[in-house]
Amino acid sequence: MSTARATPFNPDPAADTAPRGFVRGLAGLAGRGDVTAVLLVAPAVLFFLALFVVPVGNMVRYSFFQQTASGELGPHLTLANYARLANVDLYRKVLTTTLRVSLFTTLGAMVLAYPVALVMVRGHPLVSRVLAVIVIAPLLVNVVIRTYGWRVILANSDQGVLNWALAGLGLPPVRWLYTEWAIVVGSIHVFLPLMALPLAAALGRISPAVEEAGRTLGASPWQAFRRVTLPLSVPGLAVGSTLVFSLTASSFVAPALLGGNFAKMLGTLVEEQIMSVFDWPFGAAIATVLIVIVLVINLAYVYLVERRFPAPGQAR
Amino acid sequence: MRDSPLGPAAVPLYAAAGLVSLFLLAPLVVPVIISFSDTAFVTWPPRGFTLRWYVKILNEAEFTTSFRFSLLLGVLATLGALALGTPAAIGLVRHSFPGRGLVQGLLLSPLIFPMLVTGIALLRLSTSTGMQDSLVNLALGHILVTTPYVVRTVSASLLLVDPSIEEAARTLGAGRLRGFWLITRPQIMPGLVAGAIFAFVTSFDNYPVSMWLADAVNIPLPLMIFTLTSRFFDPGIAAIASLMILLSVALILVMEKVTGLKRAMSM
Repeated sequence: MSTARATPFNPDPAADTAPRGFVRGLAGLAGRGDVTAVLLVAPAVLFFLALFVVPVGNMVRYSFFQQTASGELGPHLTLANYARLANVDLYRKVLTTTLRVSLFTTLGAMVLAYPVALVMVRGHPLVSRVLAVIVIAPLLVNVVIRTYGWRVILANSDQGVLNWALAGLGLPPVRWLYTEWAIVVGSIHVFLPLMALPLAAALGRISPAVEEAGRTLGASPWQAFRRVTLPLSVPGLAVGSTLVFSLTASSFVAPALLGGNFAKMLGTLVEEQIMSVFDWPFGAAIATVLIVIVLVINLAYVYLVERRFPAPGQAR
Repeated sequence: MRDSPLGPAAVPLYAAAGLVSLFLLAPLVVPVIISFSDTAFVTWPPRGFTLRWYVKILNEAEFTTSFRFSLLLGVLATLGALALGTPAAIGLVRHSFPGRGLVQGLLLSPLIFPMLVTGIALLRLSTSTGMQDSLVNLALGHILVTTPYVVRTVSASLLLVDPSIEEAARTLGAGRLRGFWLITRPQIMPGLVAGAIFAFVTSFDNYPVSMWLADAVNIPLPLMIFTLTSRFFDPGIAAIASLMILLSVALILVMEKVTGLKRAMSM
């Protein structure tokens, strides 16, 4: 409103107070163009309200009740489900495992994605094209199939690919499968493209001239990378980390097939609580914790990164 | 390599990128190799050569039924997502109205919202309303998580289209629908195709929503494969994996042809 200029339709911008603006907004809704807009958007909005916003809200509400022995909801609001998640050792361990696996997956994806993204953006055109296909291809292969591939590679018997290779070197077999590390490896594989693609986009926006300027001013190649390229690529890393961390924290297939009962995460715990134990309120509380984790990560991204690095032309 | 834009680090960077490629391809290549193994169990290294695992799984009714069901589900989800997402994208790009940003945020939110939780909320909804038809529940859930892709791709291609051409058509007497169908629709075709492909793949591969809404009759393919991996230990699973990977390769080729893979991934 502060940038309003005097136009034939708005002769006195100073008089454009908030209430009048609101009334005009309503009047505008009745105007021909905006009725069309409402008609165009309404089906999707109603669908999303009925099948997304309201059900999620209802589920969160559920987490503040307790289930009686007969399966009915108790009469009182309570935080007991959350207290149980925080206080029972078994469940607290699941929570910390989830956060640890998500953190290591994010860090691992960063380390592996960086050289790939650099070569994709600055490497030989043919190499860059092939690499793009290799990075994107796994995204189109079903998660269950990819995780199955890791089960074969990490199998604990002497017939797993890695243990076979160790035996070839004369080393004893290692128990890879059903550990937190197996989940981390599988999750890095599943989510690496989601780190590499935004990172490559961020690196692509950096003009090579900026790094050259640093070199001209006497920086070594490593210094130029560390002081110029790396900081400028932070927005890409941040987008990737937000995605990878939230998706790992709420994943089910990788922890179920690679962690089994030995390394449980929130995704496998919530499945067990709802599908086997039928403890809906506790399941709803775990799901709500997952929402909070994703919300916190995304808000942190907005406050820490988007404000400091207003990305050019990133209309989201 | 001296004047490579990668500088003196070019060789180690190429080597690192090569190793990461190996890491990315290994779990896709290993099942393909094992699927030809003439052994009763999944073993490494594979021995012999046989196609009998492919014959076996193609005759496995559970597999083929789930495959057909997932195709149906994917088509329903794609049609639903196009029907809801296309007009919404036009409303968001071509019009301004109060709460436009909020609506856009709402329609894109399933992309960052944990799908597992979306599925739980939908299961809660279906239990409390008595909606027991798993095909309907799955289709609605899949439309919900695929619509954002259509909104995004169609919005992106609408931004490249000059609205004055459709306006010109209307000045010349075409109605709104006719103007859209004859002028704007062909121009946003790449966005519609990309959106449809994304919607279909997302539905066909979806696990975290389906796992809550499936029942004993309607089992989407990813769930079926998951169950089979814990029941069968022969290379039949590897044969299924190979067929699915083959399907993905075909899809990658189609996308590369239609929109260009990099562009489709909005790079």
